[in-house]
Amino acid sequence: MSFSFGKELSAAEVDYCCSGCRAVAGVEGAERERGTAASSLLRLGLAIFFTMNVMVFTMALWSQDVYPAQSFTSALAVSLRGVFRWASLVFALPVLWLLGGPIVKGVWQALRRGAITTDLLILLGVSAAYGYSVISVLRGSGHVYFEVGSMVLVFVSLGRWLEAKGKRRTGESLDALANLLPATVRRLDTHGNFLEKPREQVLTGDVLRVLPGERFPVDGLIAAGEASVDEQMVTGESNPIEKSSGDTVLSGTLNVDGDLRIEVTAADGRETVSRLIELVRTARSAKGRQEQLADRIAAWFVPTVCILAVAAGWHQGQTGGFDQGILTGLAVVLIACPCALGLATPMAVWTALGRAAECGVLFRSGKVMQQLASIDFACFDKTGTLTRGSPAVGRLLVTDPQQFQQMVDVAATVAAGSTHHLSQAILDFAGKHGSESQAAERSSVDTIPGKGLRGEVSTLGSVFIGSHRLMDESQLSWPAELAAKLTEYEDAQQVFVGWDGQVRGAFCFVEEIRSEATEAIEACRRLRLELRVLTGDRAGRAAVIGQHFTVATKSEQLPDDKVAAIEALARQGSVAMVGDGLNDAPALAAATVGVALGCGADVSRDAAGVCLLSNDLRRFPWAVGLARMTGRVVKQNLFWAFTYNCVGIALAATGRLNPIWAALAMAVSSLLVVTNSLRLSHYPESLSAAVDTATNVPDEAPQSLLSSGSAPAMSPTRNLAATPS
Amino acid sequence: MIELPLVFVGGLLGSAHCIGMCGPLAISLSAGAPAGVSHLRRQLVYSLGRVFTYGFCGAAAGFGGAWLSTGSRGFVWSQAWLAILAGVVLLLMGLVTLGLVPKPATRLLARFPCGTATWLKTFLTSGGWTGPLLAGVFTGFIPCGLVYAFLLKAGSSGSVWLGWLTMAAFGLGTIPLMVLVGGGSRFLSVMGRSRLLQIAAWCIVLTGAISIARGATQLNSTSLAATAPCPLCQPE
Repeated sequence: MSFSFGKELSAAEVDYCCSGCRAVAGVEGAERERGTAASSLLRLGLAIFFTMNVMVFTMALWSQDVYPAQSFTSALAVSLRGVFRWASLVFALPVLWLLGGPIVKGVWQALRRGAITTDLLILLGVSAAYGYSVISVLRGSGHVYFEVGSMVLVFVSLGRWLEAKGKRRTGESLDALANLLPATVRRLDTHGNFLEKPREQVLTGDVLRVLPGERFPVDGLIAAGEASVDEQMVTGESNPIEKSSGDTVLSGTLNVDGDLRIEVTAADGRETVSRLIELVRTARSAKGRQEQLADRIAAWFVPTVCILAVAAGWHQGQTGGFDQGILTGLAVVLIACPCALGLATPMAVWTALGRAAECGVLFRSGKVMQQLASIDFACFDKTGTLTRGSPAVGRLLVTDPQQFQQMVDVAATVAAGSTHHLSQAILDFAGKHGSESQAAERSSVDTIPGKGLRGEVSTLGSVFIGSHRLMDESQLSWPAELAAKLTEYEDAQQVFVGWDGQVRGAFCFVEEIRSEATEAIEACRRLRLELRVLTGDRAGRAAVIGQHFTVATKSEQLPDDKVAAIEALARQGSVAMVGDGLNDAPALAAATVGVALGCGADVSRDAAGVCLLSNDLRRFPWAVGLARMTGRVVKQNLFWAFTYNCVGIALAATGRLNPIWAALAMAVSSLLVVTNSLRLSHYPESLSAAVDTATNVPDEAPQSLLSSGSAPAMSPTRNLAATPS
Repeated sequence: MIELPLVFVGGLLGSAHCIGMCGPLAISLSAGAPAGVSHLRRQLVYSLGRVFTYGFCGAAAGFGGAWLSTGSRGFVWSQAWLAILAGVVLLLMGLVTLGLVPKPATRLLARFPCGTATWLKTFLTSGGWTGPLLAGVFTGFIPCGLVYAFLLKAGSSGSVWLGWLTMAAFGLGTIPLMVLVGGGSRFLSVMGRSRLLQIAAWCIVLTGAISIARGATQLNSTSLAATAPCPLCQPE
């Protein structure tokens, strides 16, 4: 799969804004045909070779200017001078043919659209320099400027080539994603045989065979077999998940150990990885505010530069002669070429979007990234965001302390008959306390919908586990000592256990705070964000969380209240809302930037501006850091491009800049912008290093080095670029 | 130019040193060649490309030297001083190679070829004569202490022509060994290589010494002539 900008059309068939973009398309297309890239490189190489020849002869001519007294005395020197002039003509013409050709093609296409580009002016200037020099050689007098013409062509082409290489690199992380999918699949045909077919030919409803160690080529349902599936690539979950018949599998995830038959639910192009890539691509094509600004500037920039170049050239021509006029005009056009200006924002934003996708963060657009960089407030949903969605047993209250272990065993035995998440939490608790449920008795458990469970335990008779109401309805009495203890835990969710006419104990559930939440909140503080927790939960439970993180908390917030709270904050600054994206949709939409957690299972869920594929909350401050860093890089790029253009134009218009230097500066300027932007592709993957990079606080570096060492979940091997600069 | 043969020998034998850096490129030129192509011809074309670049750089250095000496004429005998500087650098290079002077600690740009390898590969593996030629042309630009020392020498000549000639002589000197290495010959044992390197180092030392002597003589003769003395050195 390729990510060409011109989709299926070849470079020649499509109109481009500048020859830089055409070069990108050329290099992109070369993905399919390596030969094209090689031949354009050979062209450039040959042109450099010829230009070096031109330079040698020009230097020989110049050295006669250095020693004028000795040069013009001997007849040999004079005839050598003629030979050198002819030689530079002979070597300069191939350069015009090799490098001028592609520029002519671009200019011609632009002219057919009625557009005037700086390339046209560069071409005019170069042709004039060549023309003037050819006439000089033929007449045997006058200056020659072949070195100017050929060097300008070489530097312009070199700059564009580097630009194209740079632009291509912004897409590399996406290519890496796409390349994960196997190219061929084993498809079941009508005769019951599995045949190898290209992935593109798979249709919804086909049955495929996926062997251990292979990645799923498409989305599907397991039709037969079971396996552990590593979904880290999509959800960020590092522990493999057991899957069996009827479970969904996502493209790009890894079948660790099973021989599976899967029924295709989403074929190539519509499956998870393709949708993920499509999202990033859409994000890239949406232009941010700064990009639109740059476009608007470029719109009047080119005509202005044209006028300026002609005016400066004419003025210099009046005083310094026709050739000086040409050179001045050419220098103005070259130095003013808005290449760097046009590249400044998209290069940085594209690189950052790619880097983010690589680390499991999807931005809907570059605009969202700019908005995230400027947020002042971050609001968090509680359940499922700061805490894990499923509760854990915090405490088991029993009427008689002697009965504790018996209670655990009994509860586990009954809970084993249910898949309810509270039953699972009880089983987890029992597991930690060394209990083993009696498998033989599992069959005798009934679920009472909405209330709880009733199980038959041989030694005790009917055992009830469930709500207060279930206990009352089952006519179980409430011992006084239990009731007293319960008041202490009234904020917690409670499940009661009773048998033989009496409630015997109660499980008090607590929400488990995500292990990485503290680190994430701390990082948000270092990014100077003001934090809030908005939760629909009761005040008591919310207060616990608020104290744990020392964050202002608003409890008992209905979805509408959350929206109102965010709107109130929005009057003071930009707000980001972080939620799990399921019950927070209105709040996510109301915030300046909505951030949804754990959308790996469905990447195109239209929830929020920023989508964290994993449930790892640390990715939120990471993304803010990346967005700020990107903003900084964009500003640096724009500042550099503007300064360079303004200073350069002033120098060139007054005839103080040789076109060769102008062309070199143009290439170097593009290279600077590209290189500066590509720094973002090394943005550290670990949170602490990333925040250090984004905040540029050197004195906090030693501490952060320690904390990055204690975060094994995030790859420490990629932190090499994390040194605060 | 009394040193030209010495420069040639310095290149000829000094290229034992180049095998470390340019050798792998020459070998991959042969390894990446399309089937049925004369390896010798490819190697020769590749080396001509290198010599071309050396010549170009030599001419540029010569022009730079000329420009410097004209620009500064009247108070500094830059050409003479350039000759002395080149001589000192060459002398040091030679002595370092001989092991008589400790090696400088930094390995400048030791990683450089890795960065170029990707696009240089395009040239190295393409057929025809253009690929090998261009590979040679760009290999010539790879930073190399020996080349820079001789470039200083070329600069001190103060003439485009002599500068070109100096570097061309050096480049031609490097051809035989590079062609042999590229051809895959392993005729050089480690012992043989170090012996060659010793002779080359003495040649370089000698070139350096001659260059210093020339510079000193020039300085002497010009100081006798009625050239304006350096304004900074004037007694008042």
